Amino acid sequence: MMKHLKAVTVFAVAGVVAAGIASVSAHHSSTMFDHATTMTINGEVVELRWVNPHVSLSINGVVKERAEDGRAVWVMEMTSPGNLVRAGGWRRDAVKPGDKVEVEFSPLRDSERKGGALKKLTVAASGEVFTANIREQERPGLE
Amino acid sequence: MRSQLLATMVIVLASAATAGAQDTPKKPATVINPAPTAQDYADLAKLPDWSGVWNPKITDQDRQARTSPPPWNEKVAKEVEKMWADEKAGRPKLIFYGCFPEAHPSWMLVTHNAMEILFTPGRVTMLGESDGNRLRRIYTDGRRHPDISDPTFHGHSIGHWEGDTLVVDTVDILPQAPLAISEAVGVPNDGDMHVVERIHLADKDILHVDLEITAPKILTAPWKTTRIFFRQRARKFDIVEGVCQTGDYKEAMDANGHHVFVPVEKTEWGNLVAPK
Repeated sequence: MMKHLKAVTVFAVAGVVAAGIASVSAHHSSTMFDHATTMTINGEVVELRWVNPHVSLSINGVVKERAEDGRAVWVMEMTSPGNLVRAGGWRRDAVKPGDKVEVEFSPLRDSERKGGALKKLTVAASGEVFTANIREQERPGLE
Repeated sequence: MRSQLLATMVIVLASAATAGAQDTPKKPATVINPAPTAQDYADLAKLPDWSGVWNPKITDQDRQARTSPPPWNEKVAKEVEKMWADEKAGRPKLIFYGCFPEAHPSWMLVTHNAMEILFTPGRVTMLGESDGNRLRRIYTDGRRHPDISDPTFHGHSIGHWEGDTLVVDTVDILPQAPLAISEAVGVPNDGDMHVVERIHLADKDILHVDLEITAPKILTAPWKTTRIFFRQRARKFDIVEGVCQTGDYKEAMDANGHHVFVPVEKTEWGNLVAPK
């Protein structure tokens, strides 16, 4: 039994290593993104992952400042669902797959990767705007 | 002869029985938590109103990270300077790895998530929004800290009221629990940390947590600092369940058609691995 368990453990660890999955995660700083730079992507929502501690949004589209890349899937990270509700007026159903959107974001410093920190999302059909600045929830007049 | 042998056996057995009785350690009396009375519940109404959702003032955390640093010892100060440099360079150290709780007192110091505070007879309970924050049980029933240390992420907390101020004393915090001043700057306390807090309303919807942190393995002196939380009451801002590890997984279907979670790939800094 013990031997069997050991084998399973080794297999599990090997699997994680093979997949390149770091056993690190959780609340993280966002300085891997270049906050001094803003880019804009226009495209369709692929997936909104409404999860703690960081919501993510995948968009298939063209980045204006990287037009040479053509159409591609970019992954945007944000703060937690609760903070997005408070700071940016988000809802779980703010966007759904296929919605046409424009997103302003700060790109990853690693320019080889198509990722960013979402700053502002505009839904094309409704004109609704959602932001993601966690410090906005300190503004006066919040209920 | 036979009667002598029998007598000897009786004496030996009797001695053994006596010795056994003497060696048995006295079982400590079981302490019973008494059931709260109607008066205990009525007394809760005399406490200040801390209901609602309390949000950290992050801009003040940002400011204090630079203007009011802890008195780090020389070795840790060098580590901290490197962390600041790494963060500036886009390589933020992942202090809260593995979805472990931010722990005490870093939850109070650097959290970006809301909390709520519950009063029940003999207890104050702090509940965090994301389970990286978890919960704190603060006993206000007059008990002391336990004789035997059993370290945990949030330690053992006892509290008492001085007017409208809750005074909390916390020990037995895990040595791995970080003393953090931002999400990317902080070090494990390495043991023997002691935290005293004075928690009080500074205004109608402003809560102050005044902390005095003694951490002899990493600080040269006790560190005093204050953290600010502001209140919201709109129902749309109610705290909902937030499980930290869901960020490490995504939804999928297994071979039997069941809904399951499967791991996603993360970088060493904790963010998602974006496509190339």
